[in-house]
Amino acid sequence: MNLHWSVVWDNAGALARGTELTVLLTVATMALAVPGGILLALMRLSGSRPFAWFSASLTELFRNLPLLLVIYASYYVLPLALGVAFSPFVTALVALGLNVSAYNGETFRAGIASIRKGQSEAALALGMSGWQAMRVVVLPQAARRVLPVLASTWVSLFKDTSLVSVISVGELAYTAMLIRSRTFRVLEVLTAMAVIYWFLGYPQAKLADWLNRRFGVSE
Amino acid sequence: MSLDFSPLLHSWRFLLGGLGLTLGLAALTVLCSLMLGGAIGLARCYGPTWVRVLLVFYIDSMRSVPVLVVLVWTYFALPIVTGAVLPPFWAGLIALTAQTAAYVAEIVRAGIESVRPGQARAALALGMSRVQAVRQVILPQAIVRMLPAFGSILSIAIKDTAIASVIAVPEYLDRSQTLAGQSFRPIEVYLTAMVVYFIILFPVTRTVDIAYVRLAHLGRS
Amino acid sequence: MNMRDDETDAPKVLTYLDVRKIFGSFVALAGVSMEVHKTEVVCLIGPSGSGKSTLLRCTNGLESIDGGEIILDGHTLPRDGRGMRAVRQRMGMVFQNFELFPHMTALANVASGPLTVLRLPRREAEERAAALLEKVGLADKAKSYPANLSGGQQQRVAIARALAMQPEVMLFDEPTSALDPETIGEVLNVMKALAEEGMTMLVVTHEMNFARRVANHVVVFERGTIIEQGPPTQIFDAPLVVRTREFLSHLGWAG
Repeated sequence: MNLHWSVVWDNAGALARGTELTVLLTVATMALAVPGGILLALMRLSGSRPFAWFSASLTELFRNLPLLLVIYASYYVLPLALGVAFSPFVTALVALGLNVSAYNGETFRAGIASIRKGQSEAALALGMSGWQAMRVVVLPQAARRVLPVLASTWVSLFKDTSLVSVISVGELAYTAMLIRSRTFRVLEVLTAMAVIYWFLGYPQAKLADWLNRRFGVSE
Repeated sequence: MSLDFSPLLHSWRFLLGGLGLTLGLAALTVLCSLMLGGAIGLARCYGPTWVRVLLVFYIDSMRSVPVLVVLVWTYFALPIVTGAVLPPFWAGLIALTAQTAAYVAEIVRAGIESVRPGQARAALALGMSRVQAVRQVILPQAIVRMLPAFGSILSIAIKDTAIASVIAVPEYLDRSQTLAGQSFRPIEVYLTAMVVYFIILFPVTRTVDIAYVRLAHLGRS
Repeated sequence: MNMRDDETDAPKVLTYLDVRKIFGSFVALAGVSMEVHKTEVVCLIGPSGSGKSTLLRCTNGLESIDGGEIILDGHTLPRDGRGMRAVRQRMGMVFQNFELFPHMTALANVASGPLTVLRLPRREAEERAAALLEKVGLADKAKSYPANLSGGQQQRVAIARALAMQPEVMLFDEPTSALDPETIGEVLNVMKALAEEGMTMLVVTHEMNFARRVANHVVVFERGTIIEQGPPTQIFDAPLVVRTREFLSHLGWAG
């Protein structure tokens, strides 16, 4: 085996930029998917049958599809369906955003539903409206319950950004694969890619664990 | 926009073969990772300290790294290290098993830890050896609590096989891509793919949901 | 309309006319009629599942009613609980499980009604809250969170929270049933003081001593109907209905 680890240093800049895009994609997706999830949860819990059905169906759909397929489908179908060409980054954002929103919707719904009925009754008994009861009493409590699950979802999302490499979004996986095909230093580059993901992912996973211990509700 | 599904009808055997591989790879992954993950989980709970430290490191690492990365490394880099050729299917199986076993190990750990400590104490007080206590008292209770989570492992495995398309394992998504490229009808191909995956996965996730509800009461001591 | 023998001159606050409530196939209230007068303390007693709590929850619209009418100050309340927001501001409710908001301090809990519903400025709401906490004897616990309060303390805060809305009627749903015996007394004392100040109170309770001493009128429920009602002297010392006697002796009430 003849290894040239210098190839990693030579391409450090490109790898760094790829990492940046990975992080950006994660942050941007979550920024969309948290409000998206809350919206879906409130729709599901609202009294309105069509809203509830729509929200439940969307969640079920994304739970039962591989994310990679969603990404491909978005890439090919969106431009043809909407008549507009999207950049790969935007396509990736749409696919990831929808997927994570569906999961967050379920998370928020379960979090809200886990708050004892008596709490909202006490709020209503004081004369609060349903929305006030939600805003002042239920959601603040649900937020605490939801935080550890959101953290786990974040970690999964961070890893799933690697999938958008297949539609040529220049995040870390795509960048590393590109360097590999240019330099033919397969073992060095792929190992470097794995190590970089490990260095970023490991602390995030540990943080999520800590949040679960601190705020998690045990059954 | 008119839809033309004829390429799909034409190549249904091709796609069906891919579907068979999807299900086969998923089933094998589940089987192997249940065995490996079960062993790792038990060793992580009851093994000597140095084993536990190593295994925790392994589990946490697998949780930190994307499936895609493990797949790609296993297929492209591992052969360089071992010097042996690795066909895509087996690379896929090894990578997916390594990843999924880590999750199984965590499920096992959570299941074992959820059994009240008093149970172990009571078993030992009756004079059972540690092994007997684990086998006859702890594990039966723990396994019941693990069952719903194991169900979701199947669902995850099926979805992860799609990622194996990246290393050219000819499962359903890979075949769909091939067909889409040849027929220039990506919308029809991918829509069909979504329907196919949904039909396979929906019963699995549904069953898991029901299992969680039914067995929830057993999770409470 | 005279439904009771112990008529007072005080105006009627609440009137229940043949109120019915069904949960699926279970009849919770099978035609309940009674009156509550201003400044009265009315205690509802009876076995579990007899409809006492259900009637209370129908009163402030937490449950809808399936038949009959509930009349507050001459106005019939809507059946389905909608539009009850304004009505609920005139009634205070105290729950068996206290239901304090765990993410707020005691002071914030008491101020939550005036702040959110009445939209009082924060200072005014908090001043009102502080005064009420003082009144129930918990001024020093203003900054404490419910998790750090005993059951009796939490319930007293809950009473203060309900009082902060300055209600016309206070509804108590088994206020002491979830309390340790040592702390029951402190809550009953607060309720007694409230009664002496002239608050109109509707209390579902198993505390027969309290009912005997503080109530003006006692209503006995069984299986969704009222089997007897009257002054405490009648109910506890000389009940007219056999089932009442049986219920009380079953509780160990020696009279």
